[in-house]
Amino acid sequence: MADSRVTGYADALFAVAAAEGDLATVEDELFRFAQALRSNEQLSSTLADQGVPASRRQQVVEDLLGGKASATTTALVSMVVGAGRAADLPAIVDALVERSAASRNKSVATVRSAVDLTADQRDRLASAINTRTGRDVEIKVVIDPTVLGGVVTEIGDDIIDGSVRRRLNQLRESFR
Amino acid sequence: MRNRRTRLLAAPLFALLGIVAFAGPASASGESVGSCMAHHLDEAVEHNNGDLHATLADHHVQDELEKCFEAPSPILPEINEVIWGGAAFLILFVLMVKKGFPAVKGAMDARAEKIRNDLDAAEQARTDAQAVQADYEARLADAKAEASRLIDEARGAADRVKTDLEASHEAAMADLRTRATADIESSRTQAIAGLRAEVAEIALGAAERVVQSSLDADVQGRLIDAYIDEVAGDNG
Repeated sequence: MADSRVTGYADALFAVAAAEGDLATVEDELFRFAQALRSNEQLSSTLADQGVPASRRQQVVEDLLGGKASATTTALVSMVVGAGRAADLPAIVDALVERSAASRNKSVATVRSAVDLTADQRDRLASAINTRTGRDVEIKVVIDPTVLGGVVTEIGDDIIDGSVRRRLNQLRESFR
Repeated sequence: MRNRRTRLLAAPLFALLGIVAFAGPASASGESVGSCMAHHLDEAVEHNNGDLHATLADHHVQDELEKCFEAPSPILPEINEVIWGGAAFLILFVLMVKKGFPAVKGAMDARAEKIRNDLDAAEQARTDAQAVQADYEARLADAKAEASRLIDEARGAADRVKTDLEASHEAAMADLRTRATADIESSRTQAIAGLRAEVAEIALGAAERVVQSSLDADVQGRLIDAYIDEVAGDNG
């Protein structure tokens, strides 16, 4: 999908969520769903399969999110999947998050960790990043068991890797 | 040549004809005693008109008949023999001087000229033969020198080929040794690297399992806190 189409869908989702008055919740739920799609290839391919009727795919979305996410989130995901853009949903959500943070004059810091961060840890990490880069950021946590321990922070093209996985990789390189 | 030979045959032929032609008169002076007496007696009888007794009684006739018993001189020939012999000698001498001697001289001169020519030809042939021999010897020497040069060149070429082959062989062997050494070293390095990688993977796998088992919630929290402190403390 072209970037303009991703941006268009992101703007539309942002507008709907803002209009519904629950932008933060919808944004967070969409972010989590996008991460689930990234980590689950079977789910991603099923929702993107054009051979499966749109109603069937939307029914899968209803089954997954119904009762667990807000109605707005479920409706927006169902709309994107029904339009046949499920494969682009992670990119659309990333653009939405960026769009939302930009509306608050902030950047998005994607934090990958084996365990979720506490609210205090998120605040301190945002403050530390601000101290280091001079930018106000919003923390988006992605649970990634492959990190093993520690944190990997991505802000745009910048990566701050403090994971146990990196140290093991460094150890592996030193053996070579 | 043919005229010269004819003249040489003519000289003795003329001499033989002279002897035959003048033989009769010469032998007439040497007649027998009987015929001499008969000859004188016949002339005397005829002179005395047939009177044999008067003739025999004549002293002059008797003296003449007595002369028939006298032997000729052993030294001096008869006059007629001298005349005939001298004439024959003169004729023969003149013929020899006029015909035989020039013929003989011409034959001798021709013979000498022929011998001289033959000698000259032999000398020329000898000179030519010597020249041919010298040329042959020179060519033989050239051929020997050329053969020697060719042999030397061939020997030199063989030596160069041998040297080149040895150098090429040495270079090939050195290259082969170098490549074999490099291959061995590469294989050794690869084996060591593979072994190290395998050992590292085993060790890292074990370490990862140990780390995973030791990363409980408390450790995870402390790791995150340490990360936050690191980000906050590193302003660069």
